[in-house]
Amino acid sequence: MTEFIPFLMFLVACLVLMAGYPVAFSLAGTALLFALVGTVTGHFDMAFLQALPNRLFGTIENTTLIAVPLFILMGVMLEKSRLSEDLLESMADVLGGFRSGLGISVVLVGALLAASTGIVGATVVTMGLMSLPTMLKRGYSPSQATGVIAATGTLGQIIPPSIALVLLGDTLSSAYQQAQLNMGIFTPKTVSIGDLFVGAIIPGLILVVFYCLYIIFFTRPTPAEGDNVVPAPNSLSRAMRNLMPPIILIITVLGSILTGAATPTEAAGVGAFGATMLAAIKGQLSISRLREVAQTTTQVTSMVFLILIGAAIFSLVFRGFGGEEIVEQFFVDLPGGVFSATLLVMIVIFLLGFILDFIEITFVVVPIVGPVLLAMGLDPVWLGVMIAINLQTSFLTPPFGFALFYLRGVAPDTVETSDMYRGVVPFIIMQIVLMLMLSVWPQIATWLPELIYK
Amino acid sequence: MGILSSLVSAIDGFTEATGRFISWLTVLMVGLVVVVVVMRYFLEMGSIALQESVTYIHAMVFMLGLAFTLKRGGHVRVDIFYRQFSARRKALVNLIGGLLFLIPVTVLIFVSSWDYVLSSWAFGETSSESNGLPFVYLLKTLMLIMPVTLLLQGIAEILKSVLVIRGTANGSRAESSDKETKELIL
Repeated sequence: MTEFIPFLMFLVACLVLMAGYPVAFSLAGTALLFALVGTVTGHFDMAFLQALPNRLFGTIENTTLIAVPLFILMGVMLEKSRLSEDLLESMADVLGGFRSGLGISVVLVGALLAASTGIVGATVVTMGLMSLPTMLKRGYSPSQATGVIAATGTLGQIIPPSIALVLLGDTLSSAYQQAQLNMGIFTPKTVSIGDLFVGAIIPGLILVVFYCLYIIFFTRPTPAEGDNVVPAPNSLSRAMRNLMPPIILIITVLGSILTGAATPTEAAGVGAFGATMLAAIKGQLSISRLREVAQTTTQVTSMVFLILIGAAIFSLVFRGFGGEEIVEQFFVDLPGGVFSATLLVMIVIFLLGFILDFIEITFVVVPIVGPVLLAMGLDPVWLGVMIAINLQTSFLTPPFGFALFYLRGVAPDTVETSDMYRGVVPFIIMQIVLMLMLSVWPQIATWLPELIYK
Repeated sequence: MGILSSLVSAIDGFTEATGRFISWLTVLMVGLVVVVVVMRYFLEMGSIALQESVTYIHAMVFMLGLAFTLKRGGHVRVDIFYRQFSARRKALVNLIGGLLFLIPVTVLIFVSSWDYVLSSWAFGETSSESNGLPFVYLLKTLMLIMPVTLLLQGIAEILKSVLVIRGTANGSRAESSDKETKELIL
């Protein structure tokens, strides 16, 4: 009977979340109420919560997580100083001669820049505001335009350097340690954020190529007469001037992490500094702009860490009710071994993606199922990449996909919701194809990290 | 009404002021990390104290920024339904959530951290690194300040919800107090 309590707690938490109170408090509060009732009925020992200060201080001391506010500041700076917008416009100018130039520009810019704040909603809103009016004006159908934007806004999550991968990498790293300790390996192998970044590159690029091929072969923008923009030669050189600095910045940041020259935190700090310098060169940096960027950075950072704290309380109570053993036992008893266990976890994460964002799932679900799956022999990098792509698909899937809600919020009324639903279907299919490819050939994710680090 | 709303604006003012100050620390962090990188790669010097000061500042940002973020409405919600709620219904969610979740959670963090922080003060805990900063007990004290500031702002948010609910309940006074709370929220 009592083995149902952890699952009941999970279920109740999901229901409570739907009321709309901030996620971190809802998770921690629900868990705490369960703990109180459990203490009264003798099913829970409050001593489990004694570990909380240790967890909290662990978060304070965690130097890897310092990369989070730095990457956020970089992203906010690029956005608020309109560097992202100029990048999109310039790229559209350069590729404007091609029929699908604008669509491809949206994908490339999204892949490069949209990732840095790590919040699906914010990214999709930004991309939507930036590119939806232009795409519609240049003759893309509403379903094609919204499909491209929703897919691209979520794509940024899985392309390094994204906050989502930083958080996932950190969580997977401790899950991997724990899995090996549980197996009696006391000199455990490690997995780092850098490993996950490297592992995500090829799958991410495959998606970018898929998207671009789809846009080239299957979208037919029909520009209004006289609206066909052909860039003049001088606008081309101006475009390159807009284009190069942010691209060089991103490549430098990424390159220094991948080659091991810098830690993610150092690279993020240099990236934030570089973005600030680019804004200054553009004449976009003032005290009030800097204040705005700093305050947004503080808010987004605090939001992320409160979820981390809330999820820590939730998982302590979950553990106190014996949830971890139950999950582990469940997977061990599951027929079909590691394959069916992975499939099941992926389905659960996909469904949770309808109500929870990347950050919450990373902090709540991965610490619970990660150690079990990794102990069954899965590669941590592969698991991380699969989770990321799976979540991205979830965010796109009607009717609950996060990206669709947010895009709906900024799309004009001329765009029907059904247009959006039709628009994302091809992208969902491409995502699923990639996940199947990853299942058949895990090397797509694991080959590059092994090549670079071993 | 008068006492409630002046209490709310007092707390809001405090949170806003601390939040604005804390925000500048993110810029300072960027500067310090760049200094660390330059020292390491170009001057081949490392400073543990400098690196630890980045950790301290980072902790201050996200621990003390929580209340500020609450005030600005920056903590994510699952807003599939919430966004369509009326102002009164939203206030009800925030009232119940505040009482049932926010207050117990902040109290739990404070109470469970109390001994942990005090014992650190008792022996003046310093960094485990030999050249590190000797202020670990101060760093740990954030674990007591954070729940207090968050609880304080949480109470302000609860009072705002009460004002909204009271305002919409009394027909004639609804408009004026609605406006008043709107101003408060802004």
